[in-house]
Amino acid sequence: MQQMTKYSEEELIARLQNKDQAAFSYLYDNYAAALNGIIIRMVEETQLAEDILQEAFLKIWNNFKQYDSSKGRLFTWMINITRNLTIDTLRSKGYKKQQKISQDENSVSDYRDKSFNTEKFDTIGLRKQLQQLKPDQKIIIDLAYFYGYTQEEISKEMNIPLGTVKTRMRTAIIELRKILQYN
Amino acid sequence: MEKEEIISSGLLEMYAIGATSAEETKQVEQWKIDYPAVAEELYQIEIAMEAYALFNAVQPAVHLKSEILASIDSKNNLKTVATPGKIISISPLWKSMAAAALVLLVGSAVLNLLFYNKYKNANSKYEEGQQQMALQTEKLNELNKDWTLVQSKYSQPVALKGLEAAPDAAAKIFWMKNTGETYIDPSNLPDVPAGMQYQLWAIIDGKPVDAGMITSKVGKKYKIQKMKTFGKVQAFAVTLETTGGNPTPKGKMYVMGEI
Repeated sequence: MQQMTKYSEEELIARLQNKDQAAFSYLYDNYAAALNGIIIRMVEETQLAEDILQEAFLKIWNNFKQYDSSKGRLFTWMINITRNLTIDTLRSKGYKKQQKISQDENSVSDYRDKSFNTEKFDTIGLRKQLQQLKPDQKIIIDLAYFYGYTQEEISKEMNIPLGTVKTRMRTAIIELRKILQYN
Repeated sequence: MEKEEIISSGLLEMYAIGATSAEETKQVEQWKIDYPAVAEELYQIEIAMEAYALFNAVQPAVHLKSEILASIDSKNNLKTVATPGKIISISPLWKSMAAAALVLLVGSAVLNLLFYNKYKNANSKYEEGQQQMALQTEKLNELNKDWTLVQSKYSQPVALKGLEAAPDAAAKIFWMKNTGETYIDPSNLPDVPAGMQYQLWAIIDGKPVDAGMITSKVGKKYKIQKMKTFGKVQAFAVTLETTGGNPTPKGKMYVMGEI
């Protein structure tokens, strides 16, 4: 990936395990916007969103020894930390998950203009491609990926059987992979 | 489960986006170890999802980066210098508190001394006043007593007039008709020479009867003093006798008066 032009993932991980602040700065430059994108999907208040992003990075820095590369990629691990932290924070403040879902169906295009531009992705082209995702597929991805819904919660929310949730999720991600591959 | 079944189950996708239960997570992690094809599939899913996240990225505020870097920096420093840092940060507070306490203590001591001196002053003045008042009260009581004596309806005043030995001398007797008590005011008797004392005589049936010794002046003043008691008496006389007096008058008579 484009983010690894400076460090390989292995190198980055090794440096972060040694508390290399330059590596951390690099990590921030490459992933802060993506993590922020996840947070602001769920959090409307700018200050709270910034607090969560800061805490997420602190958590990544302080708990880096817990990262196990055999279990998943670094970025995926960071995304999971950020998503869980955001959900926990909202929960502790009494928010409910359901509140922001309905207005979210067009959220990909909502955030397009502010989106993180990488050299690799033609965002305008990708946006068109992402519109090929069926709404059912996109919602299922977003619910899980951006809102931390469990399979059971998605099943309840969309009123579909649990097995269908898994099948649709797989179809949606395969579709997504195809779109990404062609870009 | 066969690897094809695993791949098509949808669980890998769930795992990649963190939507699996703890049990499912463990299962997927095991499959990843057991089947390289599963691991590869998962890797591709993760890359796809990461790309999706990057596509949805929103740049955070510019100031956040320096804040976050500063916060990890201060956290790192905290670990190594936390203990001395704490001591340094607390000790000046205690120092200033101790200094403040000392200032307060000294100030309090000074004030205590000041107030104690004032108290002592006031107290001695108060005691002085008490003493003076006691003196005045005593004087007043005496005067009251004297005055009662003079005022009493039973009191029979008898003026004793100066005789040949001291023509200017005088004395007053107050004889209580109801009780026979006899008082003398010797204020106008001449000063007594050393070793001598005035003696009062009651003249009863023409004979002098000892009525008691007159206490000499204290300072410049005589007091009205109580003498012996008589039921009936015709006259009183004062003679100058040797200290302690005599059974019968031996010295010169100074004053005399008839009732």
